[in-house]
Amino acid sequence: MDETAIEELDLSDAESFEEVQLTAAQVIEMMEEAWVNEKFAPEILPHKMEVVDCLLGQIAYMEENLQSLACTDFRKSVHQLEVDRLRFLVSSYLRTRLEKIETYVTHILKQEQLRHENKEDLYLSKQESKFAKEVAEAMKQNFDGLVSFYPGLPMEEWMSQPVQPNMHSFVFLKSKKDVNEVVIDDGTGATAGESDLVDFREGSQILMAYSSVAGLLKKGDVKLI
Amino acid sequence: MDTDEVEFLGEKQNITVVPTFNSTVVHLISGDVGPFRAGLPTNVPLWMGVQLKQRRQCKIQPPDWMDVDRLTEIRENEKQSQTFSRMPSDHYMVEAKILLDCASDDIPRADEIRTIIKDIWDIRMSKIRTSVNKLIKNADSYAGLDNLTVMEINSIRPILPHALDQIYRIKASKRLKATSQNSTTFHTSTRPSTSFAS
Repeated sequence: MDETAIEELDLSDAESFEEVQLTAAQVIEMMEEAWVNEKFAPEILPHKMEVVDCLLGQIAYMEENLQSLACTDFRKSVHQLEVDRLRFLVSSYLRTRLEKIETYVTHILKQEQLRHENKEDLYLSKQESKFAKEVAEAMKQNFDGLVSFYPGLPMEEWMSQPVQPNMHSFVFLKSKKDVNEVVIDDGTGATAGESDLVDFREGSQILMAYSSVAGLLKKGDVKLI
Repeated sequence: MDTDEVEFLGEKQNITVVPTFNSTVVHLISGDVGPFRAGLPTNVPLWMGVQLKQRRQCKIQPPDWMDVDRLTEIRENEKQSQTFSRMPSDHYMVEAKILLDCASDDIPRADEIRTIIKDIWDIRMSKIRTSVNKLIKNADSYAGLDNLTVMEINSIRPILPHALDQIYRIKASKRLKATSQNSTTFHTSTRPSTSFAS
């Protein structure tokens, strides 16, 4: 069982990442990073479904193998524990995203529409955008139903001020490489020329406004902690 | 983030165990561990070590920093230094807590170690509080946090980021007032304070 597990592992990695060869351990690391980033970023981040799918594949494969292992084998409980840990990681990641979609549904759908028009990569996966549309639809029905009870109220008012993520919220981050001249967003609205700049060294930990580092985070130069 | 979740991240740290059983290599998804030979030290992830320990299948070798002399030295350093000194492990608090809880019989002078680690934590926490105080008074929008461990950062969350958010809003609304004198509303600058950093 163990030998085939390793072969399968290389295979499935090769499929989902095409050119990049990754070990399962690296995939787990990417998942952990994505989980923490998603937890602390105020807005929804580009989805990492390829990592999720790859990890789910590993989990399913391992579970299948576990069936054939005798209950008395100590390896069974170790493998089972690891599978449970990874399952928690993946589901917590997906749940965090769903929570964000529920909270910011109007805002997120608008942004996705813009990205679609500009032919950029979408942030939501297919299932997520289906979910988002369903939430939006349900919300609309609910509000329309409510408003119809109070005829005096303006019908479309609730749509004009959708909930938006606070992009300036402060986050803790760790730099993964040297980055020069990051503009500090301090809320005074100074233009790029007069704002304070800061250089990140690799491995340094910083507390600053999310809006200053959103781009770096999406590029993968920094990670949230 | 929950402290449990910080622990979850810390539990993949490797520790050395001395197994009391024999087994071939175990191919975990996160990498191979073993082979296990009774009496021969092996590296395993912390979560697996804890499980084996609970089933009395191994003895745990404390990490080399978990030693009274070493920790006393770290504590003195921490007392002397104005800044935060580098900790021997990024998850020292998690590792100490888990190992002292489940394997205190494998760690020599466990009680002393517990006290010293608690001391180190307290010294560092009081430094954190002083610097947070300074940060808020200066209303800075940037802070370096080198050598702080994840657990320590987590202990000032969400209060510190939220406080800084509010300062940010005050600054932003001042700016808005300055640019448009006649506008009395400042709800345009405030964003709903929904946040996932709990």
